[in-house]
Amino acid sequence: MTEASSEGAPARVRAIGEYVPLVDGPDKVSGRAHYTADLPAAGALAGRILRSPWGHAAIRSVDTSEAQALPGVRAVVTGADCDHTFGVLPIAMHEYPLARGRVRYRGEAIAAVAADDDATAARALALIRVEVEELPAYYTAEAALAPGAIDLHEKRPGNLERDVEFEIGDLDAALAGADLVREKTYRCAEVCQAQMEMHAALADYDPERGRLTVHASTQVPYYVHLMLARCLDLEKSRIRVVKPHIGGGFGCRTETLHVEIVCALLARKAGGAVRLVTTREETFLTHRGRPEQSVRLKLGLRRDGRIAGVECETVQRGGAYSGYGIVTILYSGSLLYALYHLEHVRYRGRRVLTNTPPCGAMRGHGTVNVRFAFEALLDEMAAELGLDPFAVRRANLIDAPAVTANDLLVNSYGLPECLDRVEAASGWRERRGRLPAGRGLGMACSHYVSGASKPVHWTGEPHATVHLKLDFDGSVVILTGAPEIGQGSSTVLVQCVTEVLGVDPGRIRIVASDSEVTPKDNGAYSSRVTVMVGNAAIQAAERLLGTLTEAAARELEVSPGDVEVLGEVYRAGSQDRGLTFDEVAAAALRESGTITVKGNFSTPVEAQGGRKYRGATVGSSTGYSYAAQVVEVSVDEETGQVTVERVWVAHDCGKALNRLAVEGQVQGSVWMGMGQAMSEETGYANGLLSAPNMLDYRVPTIADSPPIDVQIVESNDPLGPFGAKEAGEGSLAGFLPALTSAVADAVALRMDELPVTPDRVWRALERRRREAERAARTKRRGAGNGEPGSASGPGPGAEPGAKPGPATRAGGGRANGAPP
Amino acid sequence: MNVLPEWELMAPESIDEVRALRAHHPGSRFLGGGTDLVVNLRRGIGDPPAALIDISRVAEMKGISVDGERLRVGAGVTIRELADDPRVRAGFPGLAAAARSIAGPTHRHMGTVGGNLCLDTRCIYYNQSEWWRAANRYCLKYGGEICHVAPKSRVCYATFSGDLAPALAILDAAEVEVAGVEGARTLPLESLHTGDGERYLALEPDELVVAVRARRPAALRTGYDKVRVRRSIDYPLAGVAAGVVREGDRLTDLRLAFTGTNPRPLRLRGTEALCGGPLDDAGMERLSGLVRRQVMAMRTTFTSGHYRRHAAGVLARRLVRRLFDGV
Repeated sequence: MTEASSEGAPARVRAIGEYVPLVDGPDKVSGRAHYTADLPAAGALAGRILRSPWGHAAIRSVDTSEAQALPGVRAVVTGADCDHTFGVLPIAMHEYPLARGRVRYRGEAIAAVAADDDATAARALALIRVEVEELPAYYTAEAALAPGAIDLHEKRPGNLERDVEFEIGDLDAALAGADLVREKTYRCAEVCQAQMEMHAALADYDPERGRLTVHASTQVPYYVHLMLARCLDLEKSRIRVVKPHIGGGFGCRTETLHVEIVCALLARKAGGAVRLVTTREETFLTHRGRPEQSVRLKLGLRRDGRIAGVECETVQRGGAYSGYGIVTILYSGSLLYALYHLEHVRYRGRRVLTNTPPCGAMRGHGTVNVRFAFEALLDEMAAELGLDPFAVRRANLIDAPAVTANDLLVNSYGLPECLDRVEAASGWRERRGRLPAGRGLGMACSHYVSGASKPVHWTGEPHATVHLKLDFDGSVVILTGAPEIGQGSSTVLVQCVTEVLGVDPGRIRIVASDSEVTPKDNGAYSSRVTVMVGNAAIQAAERLLGTLTEAAARELEVSPGDVEVLGEVYRAGSQDRGLTFDEVAAAALRESGTITVKGNFSTPVEAQGGRKYRGATVGSSTGYSYAAQVVEVSVDEETGQVTVERVWVAHDCGKALNRLAVEGQVQGSVWMGMGQAMSEETGYANGLLSAPNMLDYRVPTIADSPPIDVQIVESNDPLGPFGAKEAGEGSLAGFLPALTSAVADAVALRMDELPVTPDRVWRALERRRREAERAARTKRRGAGNGEPGSASGPGPGAEPGAKPGPATRAGGGRANGAPP
Repeated sequence: MNVLPEWELMAPESIDEVRALRAHHPGSRFLGGGTDLVVNLRRGIGDPPAALIDISRVAEMKGISVDGERLRVGAGVTIRELADDPRVRAGFPGLAAAARSIAGPTHRHMGTVGGNLCLDTRCIYYNQSEWWRAANRYCLKYGGEICHVAPKSRVCYATFSGDLAPALAILDAAEVEVAGVEGARTLPLESLHTGDGERYLALEPDELVVAVRARRPAALRTGYDKVRVRRSIDYPLAGVAAGVVREGDRLTDLRLAFTGTNPRPLRLRGTEALCGGPLDDAGMERLSGLVRRQVMAMRTTFTSGHYRRHAAGVLARRLVRRLFDGV
């Protein structure tokens, strides 16, 4: 934050738009920050969870007598200790903290132990006897949907969590009028967040006063509070939830997890404190990652590149419980819109219940796999029409401000500038098509909401509330429920308040996410904090400024409108020495004692989406971030290895409140997209998660990370705080199709299945080689019969205009008769 | 939280002390850098040892000596020490490259040459937690009756993944010095691994590798390469060490050894058939044939055995070509 001074007069501090280090940075880099696993808690018992080895089974009995008798064991809990379900969506709460009646995935919690130490707890788990009757288990969406499959949940017949269908416009007519229609199916493997901190909770129950305090690694302390009250039959007023430092979320803790509820159940039964720190494997099993998804996409294009119509049919393997599933499958449909101008769209999305761990709201929630399919097919069809990938995007821009056909409000739209910036930065026009063999450039666009307009627990309350406290010491304390989870939300709120007050930032302190002192907040998800809580913080700071200005006016004996506010000095005119901030604060406190002001924010009604189909509000937001990126790759055609050489990304975040944080978030998004595109996949062996560790679950290492050039685009959204929109998710989805398009540019091969591991690429290259050979044979025979090329359709990898060299030797391009 | 079992830790300073301790603690195991053993113990793989004998201070197991074309590397030498040694880099570039390519800097700092030679074989059905393996009814390698990779097999296909063994195996007279409670012996490196993924080492439980020795034919050009999904920390999907002697335009000696594909480091047989003439396409085709017939990668990782065998062939051809051309 800079303090621009001129002519000796103290100047207001400007806190917005600079590179500002995060306020909690020193604690983290010095190791002083306490995460849930290292909170001091002398005498806390060690908690541990027994997990189902069965994929699907009816529980006949759970015998804990031997475990209970083991010396050092203080509490054992099972499904019998809690007959309440939990879940993030009020319409889909089907999960018990500890299984009752049935287990539905390998890894589901059945019982838990609190003991004097971890080793005793582990021994006790081994003494619990569980009898079950195994049921047929369905590890794929196809198996769960097959006729005759038994239902995982009574309330979800046919194992369908939600079947979303809508058509807006007239798709059939639109496709009939298109110049080119293509259809393709894309497959994306299931991925997980693999965040650094494993799930953990520390619960302390005070039996004398009937009170419970829970520290939990969560993005949503308020939802945890609600679910603890529900599952423990406790008054909400008897519960305190604190969110300590958090080692990453990315959506894996955007809903209450069984971990914190089980920890609280143990603490109450033991009558004391219990710490439950899960293993990396358990963290993977708790899951809430991005589902395996197939996307069948049909696009119609006009010759000039304009999109005539879109048909999208998608299936998600959701896992054993609902979680956010309904929202995920709705996002996949609603956010087809708001990136390009679309009129005719038909969507069908099915979210399927399967005997695998439950998926969740992973970064880019619901949009990423569909965006991959959309951009990939658009790129392929543009090539077929002989259009440049940038040109086809420019042919479909939204004329903002606008309301999309599904009622999403697009006030600001920086996509055109994003396109210009990455096109220039990457040298696209000079370099594309002129790279050496095996090297290629690809591009794609993406977007995301800046906060879901409607909270999942509808209460009618404002969407965000911030308190500011000014006391005798002259400090301003921000009290917010907004969870700082490493994304920088506390820093941004400090910046917003500093910017409005114009004071020395050293005065500003922040207390985040302790239900005892901070106002309720819905949590860190859907990129809502900067927009919603930032706006609330600005309103609170403006109110405080008003109070201070009035107090200064009284002291200076002028009207408030004549007070010049310079942050640390309030004065009546340029000749006036004025009052210091401390003097103004003292004057204000004389009137009322300690000052507490409040700011609120609610999403305007016009940004709350439409009613054209059931669930149409999902996807609505005050504003949308936009991103375009170019990826450069080299491909080894013999080993199938793809190397990402460089990435250029431009992100429209409305206004960069903190350029350092924005660049970090955009790089992180690109990098996470790279993981999904290149190497990450959970994988199952008979329903057992087969890569539940950081060696086999292949998150890219720094050695695999290319330079990422970040361009910030500022479109100044009218509803954003100082014009800001989200910065932490929108750049993720674009990486996937930009990568596959770059691979296609390099070796004329379209990869429709992610991740593009070396074996997948090699297999696709082999398939193409065989098909080309077959096509060549057919063509020779066909030529003899006078039926030229009758049997050779455009096979996978057919890429007119592909560059010459080894890439096209075996490619479908030649079989198609395209020029070499 | 994963909890390590409790054990007694002992730190002898000579081989004689090691022998005495091992004799007194029959259930003990040897601890080098711990980058393999401790990870496995934390996952509950194997019966928890009552005692660990830390061999990092044993004098006879330290040090690298290079005497002309002869090399001796103590088993306690760290991977980093081996990779950084200027004599090794100059005289045994293939071995130095293999060492440099192992995992990340922190692993190389801790891991030892002996540990890499004795690296436990790996499989996605084995390198899992106790809960996982129990849920899957264990496997041939540990506690179970069935190989999930090849259900009809009576032998375990877990893969050997050490990088140093193949780089040493292509040298002459590669031998390991072995010490046990009963005394010392020398074993050809080729006999150190059995080829059975389950009992993969031809060592008695009380024996340990003290050092490895080898000799380099003067004209042998050596190199190492491997394929992985990620460029660090991943074990090789296929790794290959090659040694080439070129006289004029003729290939006169060719040696190849593979890792990451079979339950043991695989020295390729039949390469002499390629020698005596120039390195031409026919020779390369023949080399591919040898690799296809002898490299037997199974689905012990996410990546198919078919691919790993193919990649082994590609790496072999490229490496041989590069060494032959001297670029």
